[in-house]
Amino acid sequence: MKLKIIAYTILVFLSVLIQSTLGDSIKIYGVKPNITIVLIIIVALLRNNTEGAIVGFFCGLMQDAVSGTVIGFYALMGLYLGFIIGSINKRLYRENVLIAIFLTFVSTFVYEYSVYFFSTFLRGPLHFVDPIKNIILIEAVYNSVISIFIFIIVIKLHIRFEEYDKNSRRY
Amino acid sequence: MLRPFKNKKFILLFVTIVLLVVMGISSIQNNKINYVGDIFSTILSPFQRFINFTDKKINDFFAHFEDINKLREENESLKKTVVELVYENEKLLELKIKNDELRRTLDIKDQYNNMEMVGANIIAKDMGNWFDIFIIDRGTKDGIANDYPIVTSRGLVGRVMQSDLMSSKVIAIIDEESSISARLSKTSDIVVVKGDRKLKDQGLCIMSYIPADADVSAGDKVETSGVGGIYPKGIVIGRVKEVRQRTNELDRYAIIEPSVDFKRLEEVFILKEKDINNNETSEENK
Repeated sequence: MKLKIIAYTILVFLSVLIQSTLGDSIKIYGVKPNITIVLIIIVALLRNNTEGAIVGFFCGLMQDAVSGTVIGFYALMGLYLGFIIGSINKRLYRENVLIAIFLTFVSTFVYEYSVYFFSTFLRGPLHFVDPIKNIILIEAVYNSVISIFIFIIVIKLHIRFEEYDKNSRRY
Repeated sequence: MLRPFKNKKFILLFVTIVLLVVMGISSIQNNKINYVGDIFSTILSPFQRFINFTDKKINDFFAHFEDINKLREENESLKKTVVELVYENEKLLELKIKNDELRRTLDIKDQYNNMEMVGANIIAKDMGNWFDIFIIDRGTKDGIANDYPIVTSRGLVGRVMQSDLMSSKVIAIIDEESSISARLSKTSDIVVVKGDRKLKDQGLCIMSYIPADADVSAGDKVETSGVGGIYPKGIVIGRVKEVRQRTNELDRYAIIEPSVDFKRLEEVFILKEKDINNNETSEENK
């Protein structure tokens, strides 16, 4: 349990830090990837919905603190992202990296469009094609590529956690 | 009694409601609940500062090899301009003294007079792609409060949206949530400069509510009007790039090219009020 908390804290902390400082220097076509949501997706996919929701919540809360107009918006988005992906992972062959890439693509699409929707719908005209064409599609592809690296890191942790759980169950 | 707390769906619903309430409360400005964000940003900001510093150092190191020749040429041309500028500067100093004297006789209140410039570095940028918010390394401990204007030597950058202990969030003028009361330098017409989501990527913003009889054309200078109380009068915003029409001749808007290059922004200045007593009274008035 302690091991899990420490590992997740370091992961969340690092991803937020890298995203907020170096995010701008790894832009492609003016769009930066979102490492934190990739982390949420992969953790939720490999582990379960509780851990996904907790990691999502804290990632979102950090994002609210660093860059956000109100506290709680990204926390809520992260919470649901982690929970939903964690809930469907039993039906997937989750230790396959292709599943992770595909799921990252789809959920980035849904997640970013919801962020766009909730931050725009009361303020001005909503568009469908423009934000998808200019930002979301590029970001989804970029995130999918990054998901491979994060998958490699998290699956190592996942195996370690599983072993640890088995050992502790024996006694 | 604690049984419902073991049900995952119940916890999820509970957390959702709590977060929605928190969102509602935190959208009120200067609220206590924003200290939650304060905690995280205070923990993060030294690390952000460190990464930003090393990033800059590494870039400088590589740039060092690339442009020695370029620097030599630049040095020579700069020396020439320095001589010219020194001459010009002397002339302008004379004019400044004269101007001050005349102002004193006319008793014009200078809005810059009780302002102090504080330098700051940008240490982090917005994490997503939707907003243009960045973090600077000055906070309430340096006397920075909400709504302080941010400028560079070229013009207006934005304002402080939320000041934490060691860092502050700054909202840029090209962000969709920002809107500034501005003035056309040529005709003194009051307009509104707003951020736009589509134009943001190119570093442009929109000017709307242009009076029907105003004479606007490309290249006109736009500056802050001083109306609204956040930005002092006369800070340069940018130039008009293009005037467009919506449906009829009266409904016009213009695209503004800010004089600040938002893609290459590293250091900014905060315009801070000098007098502390003055500051407190202005907060009470809110």
